[in-house]
Amino acid sequence: MIKLFKNKVINFSLIVFGVLAFYKIEVAKAQASHMFRTYKREVPQKLPENQNAIAEGKKVYEKRCWYCHGITGGGNGPAAKTMFPKPRNFTRNEFKVRSTPFGSVPTDEDLFRIITSGIEGTAMPFWSTISETERWQVLYYIKTLNEQFKKETSPEVLTVGNVISTQESIEKGHELFKEMKCYNCHGEDGRGNGPLTVALQTEWNMPYRARDLTKAWNFKGGNTAGDIYRTISTGFNETPMGSYREKLSDEERWSLAHYVESLANKMASDVVVKVKLLEGAEMPEGPLGEAWGLATPMEIPLAGQIVAHPRLWEPSIDAVMIRGLYNDNEIAFLIEWDDRTNKQEEVFRDTVALQFPAKIPESLKKPYFGMGDSGGMVNLWQWKAYWNEGFGSAIEAPESEPGEIVELNAKGFKKISVQSPESQNVEGAGIYNNGRWRVMFKRPLKTEDEKKDIQFEIGKLIPIAFAAWDGSNSDVGSQKSVSAWYYILLEKPMPKTVFVYVLIAVVMGASVELWFLARLRRFPPKLEEDDQE
Amino acid sequence: MGNKRSPYLMFWVVAAVIFLFFFLKYVSPRVFQVLMGKGHPMPTPSTLMTWYIIMGVLAGLVYATTSNQKFVDFLGFLLPGQGPILKLFFQKIFLIAFPLVVGWFVYSYSLPGAASPVELRIQHPTLPQKYEKLENPFREKDADTQRRCIEEGKVLFQTYCRPCHGSKADGNGPFANSFRLRPINFQDPGTIATVVDNYLFWRIKEGGPGLPSESTPWDSAMPAWEGDLEDEQMWKIIMGEYDTAGVMPRQREKTE
Repeated sequence: MIKLFKNKVINFSLIVFGVLAFYKIEVAKAQASHMFRTYKREVPQKLPENQNAIAEGKKVYEKRCWYCHGITGGGNGPAAKTMFPKPRNFTRNEFKVRSTPFGSVPTDEDLFRIITSGIEGTAMPFWSTISETERWQVLYYIKTLNEQFKKETSPEVLTVGNVISTQESIEKGHELFKEMKCYNCHGEDGRGNGPLTVALQTEWNMPYRARDLTKAWNFKGGNTAGDIYRTISTGFNETPMGSYREKLSDEERWSLAHYVESLANKMASDVVVKVKLLEGAEMPEGPLGEAWGLATPMEIPLAGQIVAHPRLWEPSIDAVMIRGLYNDNEIAFLIEWDDRTNKQEEVFRDTVALQFPAKIPESLKKPYFGMGDSGGMVNLWQWKAYWNEGFGSAIEAPESEPGEIVELNAKGFKKISVQSPESQNVEGAGIYNNGRWRVMFKRPLKTEDEKKDIQFEIGKLIPIAFAAWDGSNSDVGSQKSVSAWYYILLEKPMPKTVFVYVLIAVVMGASVELWFLARLRRFPPKLEEDDQE
Repeated sequence: MGNKRSPYLMFWVVAAVIFLFFFLKYVSPRVFQVLMGKGHPMPTPSTLMTWYIIMGVLAGLVYATTSNQKFVDFLGFLLPGQGPILKLFFQKIFLIAFPLVVGWFVYSYSLPGAASPVELRIQHPTLPQKYEKLENPFREKDADTQRRCIEEGKVLFQTYCRPCHGSKADGNGPFANSFRLRPINFQDPGTIATVVDNYLFWRIKEGGPGLPSESTPWDSAMPAWEGDLEDEQMWKIIMGEYDTAGVMPRQREKTE
């Protein structure tokens, strides 16, 4: 009786354990990338602020900081010409990440935090690599570059607590986002494409860009709810981002922060883009087709093209997202990226291109990642936004115009050729919607022009690279955002034989185990002393 | 002998191996993150992981066979019979888990893989002969001139090299994430500190396209600066680069 009970207890707990283990494995699958820095909030013991510390700080500044921030702190160092956003001008009160009221200078701790962690998406590195003493010293020196630090001695400091995000507060935050007209700058979906931002950027040529709230990695001063709450509360000095401390209650600012946090995505990047098989189904009709939801999206970080002259030092597109699908005959890609405007000019047009080697490489050797080389030709699929107006006019590409797709080949930056009309077999379309371009490319898996067109094969790693141009950033020609080589893989459907193999393995494992157990029970291990007794 | 009987010996051995696995998978990356001052965990390479686990299993078996008593206890875990309820519980788990683990291994090996390919490359190919005899024209100048050259070089470095190699020459510039072959971290003692300075002159002048094929030139985003920068500017950049990274070039061997 007791034994029966024992067995039941054991069986029951085994089931519970199994369920828990399965759940755990599912959770462990979600992993974040570690490409971007985390902002450190802790600040160590302060160093006394005296003439000696300032003099030491000047030495640090003139060894490490002046190349960008300028010798007098004017934000006009010699290296500033190859950067965007530009370095801070310390002589003005442009300090952004602060816990002090709008228009005030930051506290020493605020400065210490930014020096320690730097700012992602800008040239400001993390200086956690120099000693804490040096960091205090240099910030004391920086304070001498601006008179306002002497006048304001004890500003009111915002303390950032911690309020847990709930579905309710996120919804409330969404309401506030509309009520406070945040979309005027940040856009309806938070992609930084609001009408004010667009006007400031294109008509006034101002350097202000409302943050794309969907890209968590670019948030200045951190992307936790607390960091966002701080920014909403104190604003960014000398930018259109004001302080909402007077307009919103503490609770409301937290709700808004929770909503913004819910918009922000982490970059999901990898090396291999998996192209999914649509068994017996048609390809999606356009960039908005529902079938795209079946493909796994992957984000590719882009950088300015710096290999060949003329270079692009100030890129505005920092990532594109790709999805791939294929069926028995065709392959299709969807490329998406955020763009604050849809302004097209004759020369400067929003453009995106995919690059494949003209032939799948047999060995490790690939064509040069930047448009191939004399020994390795690449096949390019390029899409350009619609523009067909008179000279000098800028227009927004209408949704009814899908843009144009061209297939090219290149053997280096200067050896580019457009394929003949009969070999142009890539189709597709682009749609601009709410701050995001969605461009679809489609082509048969195999073509007749085997010399110049990539021929796709299932189960092989095929190199792919990306380029994107932002017309409103005056990107053109070699001035573009680029990526290195990645890979696509046309996924094989899971062979049925796998399950047979697994079954055989389990049966074999179990038989070996049972045999071992049977033997063990027949000849239980004994100590030799026992035998002698 | 007076040894204590330990009916859970096998359980502890298996638990230790599982612990080792979790330690390598989750704890040690964090430890190395702190030790090396990185902003992200440092995962244990999978081949190392396999070896560590194999060693862990062997160590467990060696321990279990150090005395006859232990070995009897070790195998005794699998024997049926009366024991504490906990023992029977773990016994059942082991018996069920073993075939499943075997099945899982087979499954994960026969899945159509999407692993990124191994991209082996030689980081420091041999310096071409025509660069061997070159001398930095500023190295022998007086201290003042040298200091001026270093400063000019640093300005050039911060302007043209910084977007990828970073303000600190640590390979963490704002463009660094985009190039899968990450820009070199010059502070790493295994990079520019191990070569003579004309090696850098070659790399700056010919860039990625000038690399031999064993160094995968097609993946390198290093521009060939010949045509955009003067030779003298490159020498200054080299001086500024060593200074920024805080390392010294390798001294040339005297051949006479």
